[in-house]
Amino acid sequence: MGGEEKKKYINRLKSFLPLRTKIDETYKKSIEAIQMGRPVAWAMINAWYGDPILRAMELETVYPENFGAICAAEGVAESYLNRADADGFPSHLCGYARNCFGYVSRMTKELKGEIPPEAPVGGMPKPIFLLSSNIGCDARYKWFQALGRYLDVPVWVLDMPIPGVKELFRDGVYERCIQFIVEELKEFVHFLERILGVKMDWDRLEKTVHDIEEMNRVWFEINELRKAIPCPMHSRDFWSAMPPSLFLAGKPAETLILYKEMWKEVKERVDHKVSSIQTEERFRLLFSELPPWHSLSVFENMAERGWNFVIESWGYHPPPPLDLSGISDPLEHIARFSFHFHTAYFKDALEEGEYYGYMGYPLLKFAREYRCDGAFFHLPLTCRSTSTHQLYLQEKMKQKLKIPSMIVSGDIVDLRLFNPAEVIKRMEVFEESMESYKKLREDRS
Amino acid sequence: MPEGSRGVTRAKDLYRDRFRRAKELKGEGRKILGYICLHAPLEMMTALQIIPFRMLGDIYETPTQVDRFLPRAFCPFVRSVFDLSLKGKYDFLDGMLLVHSCDAMERTGRIWESVVDHHYFHFMDLPTKVCGRHQKFFREGLDDFKKTLEELTGKELSFGELKKAIESHNEQRSLVRSLYEITEKVPPKISGSEILQVIGAITSIPVEEGNKLLREVLAEIRKRKSGKLKGPRILVWGSVLDHPAFVEMIEDLGAHVVIDDLCTGTRGYWADVKLDGDLLSSLAYYYLVELRCPRTFKEAPSDGKRKDYSADLEERFGYLREFTKTWKVDGAILQSVKYCDCHGFEVPQVKDYFNSFGIPSLLLEHNYMIADREILKTRVEAFLEILRGGVE
Repeated sequence: MGGEEKKKYINRLKSFLPLRTKIDETYKKSIEAIQMGRPVAWAMINAWYGDPILRAMELETVYPENFGAICAAEGVAESYLNRADADGFPSHLCGYARNCFGYVSRMTKELKGEIPPEAPVGGMPKPIFLLSSNIGCDARYKWFQALGRYLDVPVWVLDMPIPGVKELFRDGVYERCIQFIVEELKEFVHFLERILGVKMDWDRLEKTVHDIEEMNRVWFEINELRKAIPCPMHSRDFWSAMPPSLFLAGKPAETLILYKEMWKEVKERVDHKVSSIQTEERFRLLFSELPPWHSLSVFENMAERGWNFVIESWGYHPPPPLDLSGISDPLEHIARFSFHFHTAYFKDALEEGEYYGYMGYPLLKFAREYRCDGAFFHLPLTCRSTSTHQLYLQEKMKQKLKIPSMIVSGDIVDLRLFNPAEVIKRMEVFEESMESYKKLREDRS
Repeated sequence: MPEGSRGVTRAKDLYRDRFRRAKELKGEGRKILGYICLHAPLEMMTALQIIPFRMLGDIYETPTQVDRFLPRAFCPFVRSVFDLSLKGKYDFLDGMLLVHSCDAMERTGRIWESVVDHHYFHFMDLPTKVCGRHQKFFREGLDDFKKTLEELTGKELSFGELKKAIESHNEQRSLVRSLYEITEKVPPKISGSEILQVIGAITSIPVEEGNKLLREVLAEIRKRKSGKLKGPRILVWGSVLDHPAFVEMIEDLGAHVVIDDLCTGTRGYWADVKLDGDLLSSLAYYYLVELRCPRTFKEAPSDGKRKDYSADLEERFGYLREFTKTWKVDGAILQSVKYCDCHGFEVPQVKDYFNSFGIPSLLLEHNYMIADREILKTRVEAFLEILRGGVE
């Protein structure tokens, strides 16, 4: 078989290509701008909380989490991890954070501020400030705080209220959270105006916010179409197409046009019952948390056996659309949208007596609504945020929905911890499990 | 308090069987609410005649049930407490207050509420930052908590009762500080492991009983004759140590643990809740701003354009310099359970701070369970040797 091109079993969307080109162009332009000396901020992924403001202020932004994944894929992470160890950071901390400490340590201590030559995608130049938040995990602010050892730049923390599921519905709690977030945003705008020496262009912010909401509405609707049998769009396409939504890579107005094209293609597939895998869709699967970026080809092996990945982690998906037409303040738009992202499924969770209203419960809901036969949990050893709920979900899916799951350990930076061969070896046994649970579900219904 | 042993012996007995008194009181019709982290506003429970009971883990009991719900690469302390709960050991509680102190607590809390049946369960969010607006927001969260307690007890939380409860808890804080004052002396009359047991005991009984016990302990200790052994004086910093075994290990090697920066030690007792003005605001200030825990984001004031690392360390850890000076500390042992992100990120910065004024420090990461202690012992021994070279 040597020399022959391996057959592809995932039926990729054509519309993801122009989108991908746009994303790559955006990265390239951003790198060029940074290399020309434009100020840059480092930011944590923040669920549309701080990003709309950064975009409206036209500040170049890099995401050290993203950079960590790229360093891992490019094979330079190991040296940074070793450096972080040598600087005294415990090895169980977030792999992305340790990669970042090692990188910054090399840049500031060894290269006197120069970008390390081995750094991929042009590296990350010294920022003018660090935008962190409590969204997602404690590491997101503890990491940037600890960077104070190397960088003399301010850290700005955006605080997001995270109420309990039933506590959210006590009198006044929801609106109080919104007002709190609006105030957080006002302070953030003032901080940016001070540090950049320019005033916020409120019209531009309003337009940016509107475009983000529209873009995410269409992106949400595309994903709704994936409930169809057979599923018209594979997780591989989802991951390729998500950066414009998740990181605002590209201009939201341009992305909106491309997402609309994608919606048309997916809808056409639904209408004509075109599957996103070339084989018969034997099993519909949910993928939980960070994909093994370095081993995505394993999904081809699974597609060959009729495994179709129809839905993914809650954290990558926009919330269901929200009617914000009566609200004029763009900061309130941001507050409501971002808070809605966190709490959109709380009501349903409460009705089902589930209290892991974000991250956990939405996956239960997705598994049911996308009619999944199984779930694939990727358990990253150094990421508490994305690993905490996985065993609980495994238990709940089995108990409540009679859906089996397989857990495969891996990591976000240490590539050696994910073993695609192990996945392939376990596939047959897991298929038997999916079959038997499918029968159980049919018998019950 | 039932008759029997008194003072330190009584405290140790209570610590060894922490559930006993709570169960007795439960039998008498009292309501008991469990909490885990220090950020739970105890005064509000006390004011409504509810007994706050601090839930701890068990370093001798291998977690088994918890493996169904939590991964192994996860805070082993939280795993242990949750495991005990799943095994029914905390069934005597009327409910739980879970505060968003860190990811591990917050996420586990959501699972806890979903899988353990509690008559009452309240999740209380806690801001990350400490400025006035964040205090106000937290104060509103306290008001929500107050309402849930009123619903639970059918009673209204009055200003007078809350004030009285704050006074009692402030007295407890002051008594615990007095205990630590005794360890300022060379050599100390009470060991670090005894202090941890006393604190472990008082967090399992009503505050007034705890205060009575503390007064007995103080009277007894003050009468003790000074020991003769003069070993290195150690500060222990880090994540939760809910069992004295770790400190005993250090003390068995001839050192004195004279002061700590632990949530099962000084952290819950180093400041008082102010009694003037709106009491919920005072509680919000105390629990958000005054309590030391790396989960809260604090930094030195700056011009917002440049960050000064030394000033930042001073702002965040200045009390450690005070501890070192007042308690004549020779070395610091920084300990943390594995997978504690909040403490883990802090470690190199705390080390930098100790280095800045010449205090040697040793970092020990452990898995919480007792079996780990022997491995750590060798490293502590070597560290103490270095200190002895410097102090003798």
